[in-house]
Amino acid sequence: MKERTDVLIIGGGVNGCALAYYLVKRGANVTLVEREYIACGSSGRNAGGIRQQWSTRENVRLAMGSVKIFERLDEELGCETDYRQGGYLILAHTEEEVKQFKRNVSMQKSEGLEVEYLEQDEINDIVPELNVEGIGAIGATWCPSDGHADPIKVTIGYAEAAARKGAQIYKYTEVLGFRVEDNEIVEVKTSRGSIRADYIVNAAGAYSKEIAKLLGVQLPNKPYRHEILITEPVKPFFTPMIISFHDNFYFRQTPEGQIIGGWGNPREEPGYNYESSLTFAKNMARLLTKYMPKLRHVNVLRQWAGLYDVTPDARPILGPVETVRNFIQMNGFSGHGFMVAPMTATLIAQLIMGEKTSLPIKDLSLERFKGEVVKEVSVVG
Amino acid sequence: MMDVDLRIYEHPILRFIRGRAVSFTFNNRQIRGYEGESIAAALLAAGIKVFRRSMKLGRARGFYCGIGKCSSCLMRVDGIPNVRTCIEPVRGGMIVETQTWEPDLPTTMEFDVKREKVDVDIAVVGGGPAGLEAAITASKLGATVAVIDENYKAGGQLIKQTHKFFGSVEAYAGVRGINIANKLLSELRKTKAHWILGSSVFAHYSGSSESLLAYGGGRYYRIRAKKVVYSTGAMENMLLFPNNDLPGVYGAGGVQTIMNVYGVKPGNEALIVGAGNVGLILGYQLLQAGVRVRAVVEIMPKIGGYKVHANKLMRQGVPILTSHTIKEVQGKEWVESATIVEVDKNFNMIEGSEERLNVDLVCIAVGLSPSIELPAQAGAKTSYIPELGGYVPLHNKFLKTSLENVYVAGDASGIEEATTAMFEGRIAGAETSASLGYNVQRAETIVENTMRQLEMFRKSPFSSRVVKGKMKVFSMMGDLT
Ligand SMILES: Cc1cc2nc3c(=O)[nH]c(=O)nc-3n(C[C@H](O)[C@H](O)[C@H](O)COP(=O)(O)OP(=O)(O)OC[C@H]3O[C@@H](n4cnc5c(N)ncnc54)[C@H](O)[C@@H]3O)c2cc1C
Ligand SMILES: Cc1cc2nc3c(=O)[nH]c(=O)nc-3n(C[C@H](O)[C@H](O)[C@H](O)COP(=O)(O)OP(=O)(O)OC[C@H]3O[C@@H](n4cnc5c(N)ncnc54)[C@H](O)[C@@H]3O)c2cc1C
Ligand code: FES
Repeated sequence: MKERTDVLIIGGGVNGCALAYYLVKRGANVTLVEREYIACGSSGRNAGGIRQQWSTRENVRLAMGSVKIFERLDEELGCETDYRQGGYLILAHTEEEVKQFKRNVSMQKSEGLEVEYLEQDEINDIVPELNVEGIGAIGATWCPSDGHADPIKVTIGYAEAAARKGAQIYKYTEVLGFRVEDNEIVEVKTSRGSIRADYIVNAAGAYSKEIAKLLGVQLPNKPYRHEILITEPVKPFFTPMIISFHDNFYFRQTPEGQIIGGWGNPREEPGYNYESSLTFAKNMARLLTKYMPKLRHVNVLRQWAGLYDVTPDARPILGPVETVRNFIQMNGFSGHGFMVAPMTATLIAQLIMGEKTSLPIKDLSLERFKGEVVKEVSVVG
Repeated sequence: MMDVDLRIYEHPILRFIRGRAVSFTFNNRQIRGYEGESIAAALLAAGIKVFRRSMKLGRARGFYCGIGKCSSCLMRVDGIPNVRTCIEPVRGGMIVETQTWEPDLPTTMEFDVKREKVDVDIAVVGGGPAGLEAAITASKLGATVAVIDENYKAGGQLIKQTHKFFGSVEAYAGVRGINIANKLLSELRKTKAHWILGSSVFAHYSGSSESLLAYGGGRYYRIRAKKVVYSTGAMENMLLFPNNDLPGVYGAGGVQTIMNVYGVKPGNEALIVGAGNVGLILGYQLLQAGVRVRAVVEIMPKIGGYKVHANKLMRQGVPILTSHTIKEVQGKEWVESATIVEVDKNFNMIEGSEERLNVDLVCIAVGLSPSIELPAQAGAKTSYIPELGGYVPLHNKFLKTSLENVYVAGDASGIEEATTAMFEGRIAGAETSASLGYNVQRAETIVENTMRQLEMFRKSPFSSRVVKGKMKVFSMMGDLT
């Protein structure tokens, strides 16, 4: 392993790989270490959804910034990421949700997002096959520029583009510990030897908390299992991601025709659990066939699980911490870290290179948990 | 259009008893079938080989494995896409259609599925010789048992083996495979075991007990069991060569199914790839069915199967070409000819040695791979053991995997043969019953005796490879604990 690097990134997920890319692009000397292989964590296990419809302004801005990047990503990275702007249809089931959604829409519009509130009888104009009444949807919001991409292709795309520009990527290399002097990390110990770095970025997904612990830094993040499944391909007949916070459920159809979707079990306990459960399979079958009765004839191909790295306000932790000066956080993505990765990686790259960040990130630092927090409510948790 | 009927009505050793004649439509054309036939068998009997088009290039695809394991035969049936027509029985009035690259979903909202919950001590997945023995043994010892098989005919590979078995007398040497199946089935019928045929187990979840999900014939099953025995058999290997996806390139076992179970002539002129026992036996079964066998090619410098089988074929004038392989097949919608070629010591094709044979049937008999998807999904540790045909779940000599409640038996635990599959099934059946407290002493005696028989049987030089593989598995399993 090499002796020294400007920036050492821990974690070969979409965030770590994108950061490596934006840093080498700016001329930095970058090393990334990944315990297993690229995209083995949540980045290789998620649904690939990319939406800008959020309830907090920071998230809307992060996501809108990312979408601008996604729109040109294939060209930028020189690869296929299957990015499509099929839209997101977010369903409201209660009057309370209707009120919240209408507030969200006006805030999102003020940010320049093209988004609209749909009445119940307009929902089928977007997806005719949706059983609107049967599922008790009374309204929806619709943003046609939301969409999806293949998260594995995006993650590997970033990693390969970064490597082409000179980033060193060590796979099957685990960070085991640190040597700290005067509140600064001077050496990182890995399973392949030690390395010195000016900056160390904690992009270890749901394991970021464990990395921080090695340095005596307490992150409030908790790992939660989130399950997901995919069916055999059938003729493509809808393009949006359909999402219901009420049922804690979302699904879409891939360009090849497979239905992919997940359901969050409200009773899930925190922990590093990757098992597939029967409860999930049953609830998915119930929900999918209720939402679209025609899906009764489709066979499930695979079921798997990944981890959400959840913070108390469901927003990421970005930037330095007070106690260890060169230790940068890039974690806590709370189940939506794929879609914002292009933007968060750009911001952290700007921060490290001493540029002005294109969005303010101070509000997303670890220190925010000392005060009162504004929770992101538009999540499938 | 002239009515084609490729069914065999006269056969030297088999009599085909067909069910009631029914009629169904294939792409708006009326086709005759008989109850008890699979859709694939009825279509092949009518001379139809193209069942669907591939997703991206629209290439013709047809039958291949005949036992529901390869998805080559998917068609739309009564509007429902992706039906495995090789294990779906024909019904009068059904509508069968070629599936194009994007299977469309039926617009009708009706879908009458039934749900059934089954609670048993032991679930046996796969009703071949291993599974049947496991179920019979466990039932007799007093455990409650469910046997699930995705084929609507139980008996596994045995039902297509019309030859007399070699092997141990206690394990039916000299009896035809199909008769062994019938004997096991009638023995199982005497027990209280619960049968679920024509249903695929597609998921295994562990919790306070083991839960299996199965689906077939419009019915969903949730099977809860304390112990699960996987006796899911094996699937046939494919070979890489240009146009290997053309209809007419079929698995040897698939050809046996069509010909020996359904009595349908699979082609007129055949080439067999692989001169192990399966290829050789298939050779003379094809001759019995009136198919001309142009050659058997074998890439190794010598014949792999038993001499008796090889001699029987050669006496009938079928050349067995060692150090030869298939180079490619030609044809537009199905196989019209095949090119064979000689290979050198390093298995490289020798240029200029090609020969083109006008065949319409190419049978691939190049070995089997254990079907281990479900135990692997349940979390059983697996390892690649070439002597046993590929990845197998690690297990001890009592057939228990790395999971407390999951057992394997038969080809799923390593490719071997029906005789040993039955021994293993019996051991697994007795072990699982004993672990649940049923008739422990008697169960242990069964295990001991069967273990002894199995060891005796495996003393034969033909078993040395398997024994080497099993030793590896047992020792890796020992390392785990
Ligand atoms: C089922 C599911 C569905 C989801 N759907 C969406 C969606 O539709 N849209 C969306 O935006 N987000 C979604 N998410 C969330 C998204 O997947 C994550 O937020 C995102 O992938 C996080 O990326 P990451 O790079 O931060 O972390 P990860 O991809 O988890 O990468 C962290 C990496 O760090 C490595 N690592 C850990 N410890 C060490 C160590 N000690 N040394 C070296 N390396 C280490 C791990 O091996 C891992 O590869 C979903 C998540 C799940 C589980
Ligand atoms: C041509 C040929 C000749 C042979 N000759 C001999 C011989 O002379 N002597 C001898 O001893 N052996 C012989 N064998 C080998 C013998 O047939 C096999 O080793 C034996 O059948 C294996 O038994 P099994 O029970 O493990 O598997 P199988 O017989 O393959 O049975 C497995 C069963 O499991 C079912 N199944 C699989 N997956 C699922 C699922 N997910 N859900 C529900 N059901 C499932 C399948 O439908 C199948 O019925 C021969 C084999 C062939 C092909
Ligand atoms: S699944 Fe039907 S031929 Fe293989």
